[in-house]
Amino acid sequence: MLLLQDKIGKMKIYLNPFFLLFILLFSLNIYSQEKITLSGTVYDKNSNETLIGVTIYLPEVGSGTMTNEYGFYSITVPKGNYKVQVSYLGYSTILQTLDLSSKTTKDYKLVEESESLEEVIIETNVEKLNVRTPQMSVNSLSASTIKQIPVVLGEADVLKSLILLPGVTSAGEGASGFNVRGGAADQNLILLDESIVFNSSHLFGFFSIFNPDVIKDVKLFKGGIPARYGGRLSSVLDIYQKEGNSKEFKLTGGIGLVSSRLLAEGPIEKEKSSFLIGGRASYAHLFLPLFDIDNTAYFFDLNSKINYRFNKNNNLFLSTYFGKDLIRIDDSFSNNYGNTVINLRWNHLFSDKLFSNLTVIYSDYFYGLNVDAAGFEWNSGIGNFNLKYDFKHYLNNKFKLGYGINNIHSSFNPGKIKPNTTDSGIIERQLTKKYANEFAAYIEAEHKISNKLTLQYGLRFSNFLRLGQNELNVYQNNQPVIYNEQFKKYESAVATSTDSFQRSDVIKSFNNLEPRFSFSYLLNENSSLKASYNRMAQYLHLLSNTSSPTPLDVWTPSGKYIKPQLLDQYAAGYFTSIKDGDYSLETEIFYKDIQNRIDYINGGNLIANNEIETIILNGKARAYGLEVLFKKNSGNFTGWLSYTLSRSEQLTPGRTPIEPGINNGDWYSTAYDKTHDVSINTTYELNEKWKFNSNLIFQTGQPTNYPVGQYEVQGLNVPLYDDNRRNADRLPAYHRLDISATFTPSRNKNRKWKGEWVFGIYNIYGRDNAASLAFSQNQDTFKNEAIQTSIFGIVPSVTYNFKF
Amino acid sequence: MKKILILPILILFILASCEKVVDIDLPSTAPKLIIDASFEVMFNKNPIIANTTVKLRLSADYFEENIPVVTNASVFITNLANGNVIDFSDTDLDGDYEPTTSFIPEDNSVYELTVIYENETYVGRATKIKSTTLTNVTQGESTLFSGNETELELNFIDDGNQDNYYLFDFTKNNFFTLEDRFFNGSNYNFSFFYLEDEIELPSNVTVKMSGISKEYFTYFRILVRQSGQGGGGPFQPVPTSLLGNIVNTTNDANFPLGYFHISETDTFSLDLVDKTK
Repeated sequence: MLLLQDKIGKMKIYLNPFFLLFILLFSLNIYSQEKITLSGTVYDKNSNETLIGVTIYLPEVGSGTMTNEYGFYSITVPKGNYKVQVSYLGYSTILQTLDLSSKTTKDYKLVEESESLEEVIIETNVEKLNVRTPQMSVNSLSASTIKQIPVVLGEADVLKSLILLPGVTSAGEGASGFNVRGGAADQNLILLDESIVFNSSHLFGFFSIFNPDVIKDVKLFKGGIPARYGGRLSSVLDIYQKEGNSKEFKLTGGIGLVSSRLLAEGPIEKEKSSFLIGGRASYAHLFLPLFDIDNTAYFFDLNSKINYRFNKNNNLFLSTYFGKDLIRIDDSFSNNYGNTVINLRWNHLFSDKLFSNLTVIYSDYFYGLNVDAAGFEWNSGIGNFNLKYDFKHYLNNKFKLGYGINNIHSSFNPGKIKPNTTDSGIIERQLTKKYANEFAAYIEAEHKISNKLTLQYGLRFSNFLRLGQNELNVYQNNQPVIYNEQFKKYESAVATSTDSFQRSDVIKSFNNLEPRFSFSYLLNENSSLKASYNRMAQYLHLLSNTSSPTPLDVWTPSGKYIKPQLLDQYAAGYFTSIKDGDYSLETEIFYKDIQNRIDYINGGNLIANNEIETIILNGKARAYGLEVLFKKNSGNFTGWLSYTLSRSEQLTPGRTPIEPGINNGDWYSTAYDKTHDVSINTTYELNEKWKFNSNLIFQTGQPTNYPVGQYEVQGLNVPLYDDNRRNADRLPAYHRLDISATFTPSRNKNRKWKGEWVFGIYNIYGRDNAASLAFSQNQDTFKNEAIQTSIFGIVPSVTYNFKF
Repeated sequence: MKKILILPILILFILASCEKVVDIDLPSTAPKLIIDASFEVMFNKNPIIANTTVKLRLSADYFEENIPVVTNASVFITNLANGNVIDFSDTDLDGDYEPTTSFIPEDNSVYELTVIYENETYVGRATKIKSTTLTNVTQGESTLFSGNETELELNFIDDGNQDNYYLFDFTKNNFFTLEDRFFNGSNYNFSFFYLEDEIELPSNVTVKMSGISKEYFTYFRILVRQSGQGGGGPFQPVPTSLLGNIVNTTNDANFPLGYFHISETDTFSLDLVDKTK
């Protein structure tokens, strides 16, 4: 009861500023004069694909709006004659005068700049508006930028491109996942057409699962995260895929060294409905038999979409994603894993001011293993049903409201083992499946207080129910982990009994209020100050104690023994655009405080552990840093410099004074803490045929653990580690330079078939970057060695991309 | 099983990675006493024999080539069931202490190992852990990645009345820990692979299977992994100090490393032939 009162007390504090703002808001609406709404959808002229983030700007009123994820915009202004400017990066701007005397619906079709016959140059306000919007801490990349950035083996890659921007790092080459602002890889909400994706990498992190041809828009929110998103602490990677060309049939593809891709799209009923099927597969394994290697490792992705535009007010989208990795070694071992996502969305316009989207999603992640040598097969996974209903209410040119609900029902299979041969001694066993339901409701507003001050604020309420499972262990004193004082180590407790539940029972319930707030204050026409605060709750935990997640890590829900992770993030920044947007500078500082970040007792075994609570210690984490992004946006020579100075730490104290916790109860670096992270990306357009791109990257080496000595037990030479200096050492600094050249044959211009060659060299000066340092005894010389593993040396590549 | 799970990761490294030995300055720490006392009772031999060596060493800096031995300690074992004391001595001064009178650990007796070194007393306790016999060990035909591995197929019947933990010693520092969680009480078989450079064929090998305690299982699993025999690489958990079951009763803070354990052990010898010829 005390706890509840405490919570209500906190709620009041959170709510007060919101109440004030709502009162302010309604008082603003009272003196309204006659207003007219201009609304519509913005399309690409060639493909009829809707465009996300197009700016519709009315210079006379000094305000504008942007198209949403479905290309829709709406703006309400006093009756009158207005200039309307529709602009989008890479597209020619449309400028026209409209007489807004009554409700107007106006769809715009933009033409790509490179394709327009004569360059219509109009000074665009794109960058200026970015300075104005209160949204901060966002990294965005266009699909064309992603395709130009040189990457290993020439495989264009969203994640590998994103880590070139400030605040984003990866655990290293060949490591799955990515880390945002010192957050863990499981704290990223990855959305593909609004569906949650659990595994973002192929082949243990060498490639990301996103097919670059299908991607329409990529945004990574690092902070100031709007209330419509929730469930993960650190970031939201929001990816929208193309809907398909509804004007004409098109083929797009690429042939690379490791994988090839093909995308077919076209109208089913012209300008009404379209389809898209995209596939990508690796084929390096096809050559292995040539070398008499009877092993295989490959991956594929299949994206398919259909959409139907019933009328102006109703749109239906069906999309699926299916991706898989398969690894087989001779006949003794095979392994496959992947995501499946099916997603149905319905856009409905209730009025020219009220946009809605209803989404139903099924998403799952499967991991399977077949080990003939030990006579078993193993599978684990997570599946969820997700229902979302989101509304965007464009009240007037000063105020936009978003609200919605979201319900996710998840089931977790920590693992099932089965014999796979008749003489196997393995006994079939299902580890206890877990179930949970997560509900959230949110309301958010973008509110222009004055010409200088714009606010964005919102509140999300989330409720998490851990639902009944067959068996739940009960421990003495409610302690699944005990501290053995004599041997000075943590040990797993043995359950004293088990409780059993109905599926409809609630084992444990959590509620959280997550306020979000940000503002931008214009200092002058070209620069602004922004600040934000966001609180996030995360109810799922990825069980992983390696420096980078692996595909066999399993997700586990919060419950009786594991508390939800909670984050408070504060960020502030200065944004300026120089020389009318030719250059831009974004600087931000952030501080993050995370409660209930788990770590594991020494020697805890995560694999196939049915009593995972018996190896978990509860702690907290924090991260803080400075980010700088300087961009040159126009001319033949473009690019950016990104720098991040940051620290990411974890604290796992003992529960009583006699317990040491981890690292003797002191703060320690997380495995992904990188003090300095610099990247310089440049693009130079020599002429219409040749374009050059380069990356220069420098990063502080990742934390690691050096042995402080050695000893021998049972003939084994064992490095001696000191538990009081966890992650206290560093791998050598990481740096490399990549270059690529894109060649577009000039005969392309008048042909239907358009092709381009991308030649690349990754790590051109052949730096042996350490992916890991291992300490072991050489079995021939019996001398101890430190062995550095590097993944990529100099890797040349060539890719051919085509459009037809 | 661990060794097998690491393999998919290894493939990628073989495809793309390169390894090199690097020079690094490593931190140092004061030497610690290492008590390595894993007793094996060969219960299936007639007469029953036991390996009851207590090895005393000191820890050393990581790149030090010699591991110091401890020859001036006093070592004895007390059978707590009847109070009998067995003295150990290091006659050839190699740090390996043997009982002065022949000693076969009994069933269900708690033994206490005492080591007195530099005026500090170290104490650990153990009870013999039962094992079962290896039904059969044969050379198999399967291979792993390179196609040149040598397969051993092992077979034994697990005791269904209790949780069992096993330690297999395939010689040449090839250890493998196994728990019966997924095959309790069954006739179980599994394969072990010698990598190409780990064995020269033809060869005679002796496989040891020991029954071990749950705690020793956990200890040894990590020991194998941290010694670098279990794969290594970036997907390894954070390495930690490995505390055993022996405590320093004089100076709590100066804890020793190593383990005192008594197992029942079965051995199986077989001739491996070169099947590629």
